[in-house]
Amino acid sequence: MMMKGGNKVLARSLMTQTLEAVKRKQFKKFHAASSEEQATIERNPYTIFHQALKNCEPVIGLAPILKGGRFYQVPVPLSDRRRRFLAMKWMITECREKKHRRTLMPEKLSQELLQAFHNQGPVVKRKHDMHKMAEANRALAHYRWW
Amino acid sequence: MAASCVSCGAVVSQRLLLRPRVSLAPRQVLWRAAELQSVPGPQILRLKHVTVVTTKKNVKALRRETYTVDFIKKQIEEFNIGKRHLANMMGEDPETFTQEDIDRAIAYLFPSGLFEKRARPVMKHPEQIFPKQKATQWGEDGRPFHYLFYTGKQSYYSLMHDTYGKILDIEKHKNQLQAKGLFSEKDKTTDLIGSRWLIKEELEEMLVEKLSDQDYAQFVRLMERLLQGGAAGEFVQSFRRSVTVQSEKQPIEPVQHDAQGMAFSTSEGRRKSAKAEAVVYEHGNGRIKINGIDYLLYFPVLQDREQLMFPFHFLDRLGKHDVTCTVSGGGRSAQAGAIRLAMARALCSFVTEEEVEWMRQAGLLTSDPRVRERKKPGQEGARRKFTWKKR
Repeated sequence: MMMKGGNKVLARSLMTQTLEAVKRKQFKKFHAASSEEQATIERNPYTIFHQALKNCEPVIGLAPILKGGRFYQVPVPLSDRRRRFLAMKWMITECREKKHRRTLMPEKLSQELLQAFHNQGPVVKRKHDMHKMAEANRALAHYRWW
Repeated sequence: MAASCVSCGAVVSQRLLLRPRVSLAPRQVLWRAAELQSVPGPQILRLKHVTVVTTKKNVKALRRETYTVDFIKKQIEEFNIGKRHLANMMGEDPETFTQEDIDRAIAYLFPSGLFEKRARPVMKHPEQIFPKQKATQWGEDGRPFHYLFYTGKQSYYSLMHDTYGKILDIEKHKNQLQAKGLFSEKDKTTDLIGSRWLIKEELEEMLVEKLSDQDYAQFVRLMERLLQGGAAGEFVQSFRRSVTVQSEKQPIEPVQHDAQGMAFSTSEGRRKSAKAEAVVYEHGNGRIKINGIDYLLYFPVLQDREQLMFPFHFLDRLGKHDVTCTVSGGGRSAQAGAIRLAMARALCSFVTEEEVEWMRQAGLLTSDPRVRERKKPGQEGARRKFTWKKR
């Protein structure tokens, strides 16, 4: 999803720069922290990446179902694949749209990944919003037929 | 106006049909020009349509041809005699004349340039040519022989019935043993490795009956249940077919030796339109030369170098082989894929059978079938259509 126009080289370099930025930030924090906190700080960028995306995955999703001429947002269970896809998509859209014109993607992405790793930040908030909407529309669950 | 004409025409045609003088066999559809009315006044043209039933007596009822047992026997005798004649003609021994010899002889005596293989002249055993059919299922009094005849699928249902009977027998036996305390858990799964259940078509062929998918699924479930209960015997083995191990079909390149006595192996690989030929030396430092250029300079992108690394990394032989390869055609990624395939194939000759099987399962030895899809007329690309305009 990072790739645009088939430019895999660019997408790959952006990802490596992101992971490098994550690692640098974590190391800075590590050196600045006391010895008790040093044990809790995670420095491996890959584990941070995977954990952040896992924290962004929604458990339940909404599907627009046509009933009686109106579209209702019905809570629907999501498959594993769909959840991972939504987590990645939300992360990338958030980084592309909600950043200052001058900030580069790796910097913004690393910031968002670290926030998601600590269960904070706009992407995790979006996941919670999705869960709240699903909870609010619980009554419509019967509209699902599959 | 037109409706009234048609109705008049129909009435007239009925009258025509009733008159015998118009009857000719076989009659044909005629559009007769309107007859002038004898009534004075404005003339109305009426088309008279005489539709008649075709009474062709040559059309047989569309039933499958039934071959009697005597007919098949006669065909088999003729086939055997013909086989001996053919062997004599070819100057071979009639006793040891196999089917392959027959095929070769026929191809030699009747060379055919037809593309469709099934249209070429063939001489095979009548069992393979005439479809298997059941003999008449009922006696002279009209009473069927088999007790399950009226189910429609007698052999299938009788097979299921027998299998269930066996399951019950095994359970009874097990209960008896348990009552006596002699029951022991035995390992029964070893007979089933390397074999698979009959597929639906094979079962249909065996029973000479059409089955539905649900019937087949039920059959497989019953067989599994039978296996759970007791040891797999002859009965169950007759419904299993062996599965050939795929890795045996992988041709392994022979190891060659060059002038200095270094062992190496060559093979080719293709991906999209790129062709590569790799020469992997058995002992080396891990240097790779492509078209005389070092791999670091030929493939500046990390992704391509990862592809080259994959076979060696998989077998933990990263710095142990030297490779020289030539590649042409395709793009950057296609060339990398082609070289990877060539290297993996060449590595097979230096590696154990088990590792070859692992490589095959990892997908290193399969050539990627994806090629560029052609552009079709009336569309902009292979799949993309032209912009749809409402008007």
